[in-house]
Amino acid sequence: MASVTLEGVTKSFAGLTVVQSVDLAIAEGEFMVLVGPSGCGKSTTLRMIAGLEETSGGTIRIGARDVTQLEPRERNIAMVFQNYALYPHKSVRENLAFGLKMRGTGKAEIEQRVARAAAMLKIEPLLARKPRQLSGGQMQRVALGRALVREPDVFLFDEPLSNLDAKMRVHMRDEIARLHREVGTAMIYVTHDQVEAMTLGDRICVMKDGVVQQVGRPLDVYDRPANTFVAGFIGSPEMNFADGEIASEDGRPVFRSGPLALPLDGARQGAALEPGQPVTLGIRPEHLTVAATGLPARVLHVERMGAESVLQLDAGVGLRALVDRDDGVEEGDTIHLAAPANRLHLFGRDGLALGGAGR
Amino acid sequence: MRSRYDWVIWTFFWGGLALTALFVGGPVLNAIWLSLHQASSFIAEPKFVGLGNYARVVQEPEFWSAMANGLIYALSAIVLQVVIGIAFAMVLNQPFFGQRLVRGLATLPYLLPTVVVALTFQWLADGSVGLLTVIARDLGLGTIPWFEQPATARASVILASVWLWTPFVTICVLAGLQSIPPALYEAAKVDGAGPVSIFFHVTLPQLKPVLTVVVLLRAIWMFNKFDVIWLLTKGGPLGATEHLPILAYKRAFSLFDVGGGAAVATVSFLILMAAVSTYLWMFPLEEKR
Ligand SMILES: Nc1ncnc2c1ncn2[C@@H]1O[C@H](COP(=O)(O)OP(=O)(O)OP(=O)(O)O)[C@@H](O)[C@H]1O
Ligand SMILES: [Mg+2]
Repeated sequence: MASVTLEGVTKSFAGLTVVQSVDLAIAEGEFMVLVGPSGCGKSTTLRMIAGLEETSGGTIRIGARDVTQLEPRERNIAMVFQNYALYPHKSVRENLAFGLKMRGTGKAEIEQRVARAAAMLKIEPLLARKPRQLSGGQMQRVALGRALVREPDVFLFDEPLSNLDAKMRVHMRDEIARLHREVGTAMIYVTHDQVEAMTLGDRICVMKDGVVQQVGRPLDVYDRPANTFVAGFIGSPEMNFADGEIASEDGRPVFRSGPLALPLDGARQGAALEPGQPVTLGIRPEHLTVAATGLPARVLHVERMGAESVLQLDAGVGLRALVDRDDGVEEGDTIHLAAPANRLHLFGRDGLALGGAGR
Repeated sequence: MRSRYDWVIWTFFWGGLALTALFVGGPVLNAIWLSLHQASSFIAEPKFVGLGNYARVVQEPEFWSAMANGLIYALSAIVLQVVIGIAFAMVLNQPFFGQRLVRGLATLPYLLPTVVVALTFQWLADGSVGLLTVIARDLGLGTIPWFEQPATARASVILASVWLWTPFVTICVLAGLQSIPPALYEAAKVDGAGPVSIFFHVTLPQLKPVLTVVVLLRAIWMFNKFDVIWLLTKGGPLGATEHLPILAYKRAFSLFDVGGGAAVATVSFLILMAAVSTYLWMFPLEEKR
């Protein structure tokens, strides 16, 4: 077991910087999720930690060891690949044993560790099979097993669940969470799925264009996104944004955008507001509620998802609200919305949260 | 499912079958028929002698030495071609400046007519001015009698064949290498494998389907190879490079023992068929990775 530390880690391909000066500390036993849209450099960052990609700058430490220049095999890491990358000509048992064999582990010990990992993942009946005789979910378990037997300093996962169907994905997600509790080794997990990130991570690291946007506990990131990108990326349906400016009514701060006016008393970031200041207001669909009075809005479309419905609204600006299905709202209705001031997010025109939230 | 293009398929199928029967089956059957007859020339009236020709040729020491020569030639040429072919392919599979050009050049010997290669090789190995001879002399190896002594003649013939047909192996293996998923190498690296382990645990097993076919084709061609040896040594000196195809040719066309030549050719054919069947039984081609 060990911690992992990245200091100013940078990667360029032919002059194009795809990972830019990443600083990140993963504590011993911590589950860190790297999340972000496609092409943001998550995999590249993970592969640099694994040693599969050279760094263009910066330092990577595992525990106290500086591993920046070491070969993958000298780093004592284990990795689970998106396409499993099982050795096709080896049986499941040989796949699990290979890493131990390469490190000169004794026969008896190999057998014992393979048996233990196979029991943990419930793949004992598959040990004699070849990978091509396995289903996707089974291959995924074997890939997990191959990492598990190694008892490495840190586990690395690159979108390990993206080839599974939705149901299997949820199941394997729970399985990975359980494994983490049982083995207690640090894990770094790459995904573009924010639900996976929120449910698995002790902390999540949101990236965009090779730059870390915010690192924090999932709910902290959800409650206090550092900028509009993080605010929009984490949470589903996506947060509503409206550009406007701060006005003052009777000496109290109000957000104004065309016909829309929202009082900001009690807003978390209310303190430092000045009249005339241009801001972007954010509110999550799940924090808008249908009320007797308040902001009037016309219902353009109702998306029924089961227990809840997503309303597409026109309130001078376009909005989405997530409401209970029993609210009885129909297309064409005009409703009133309540937006609790303590759920409002305010961002400057540079996209950064006002009052330095998150960070 | 029937379609209105069925007739195209059947035309090609029956057409192919008919052509094969005519130009492959016909000569084979004719050779077998000839091997059961005695004839002192192609125009003489053949006389049926049963297995007499076979009994006669297998009693001659030339037959057995030709068999041994053929095996030595084929086996060494195949092993060298495959080993060197894999090595070249692995080098060419690495990214380096001018990779495409070198890949193109590496296939060149395979594209040249055998006659050209044989003559070039003879010229390179010329006893006084040949490039190879001069290099060997400058290296202090003395004057190497490339085609004059049995051992060097054997080696020279093998060398020329390896030079000619290694590119075939290289091309096939290169294609095989390019289809290996990079993630397998990465998984092996993370698992702690060094370059040698990676070769034996990832590369070689992944190349197995390609190598199975390549070795089979090389074996068939090398065992039947006639032109290169004939052009370089005509089976000499002292029969050192004479293998079954050359023996069959000499019997039929130099000694005008048509029946005996056909018998040698038929035995050669049967041996090859047995070897190929055993090989295919050991390494079935349909194996999926
Ligand atoms: N070998 C390479 N050569 C050149 N550019 C590369 C290479 N590998 C990755 N890139 C570029 O680096 C950027 C980041 O790639 P990376 O694979 O890390 O993204 P990602 O966040 O994992 O995306 P995804 O979710 O699609 O897997 C991309 O723009 C990609 O095109
Ligand atoms: Mg990726």
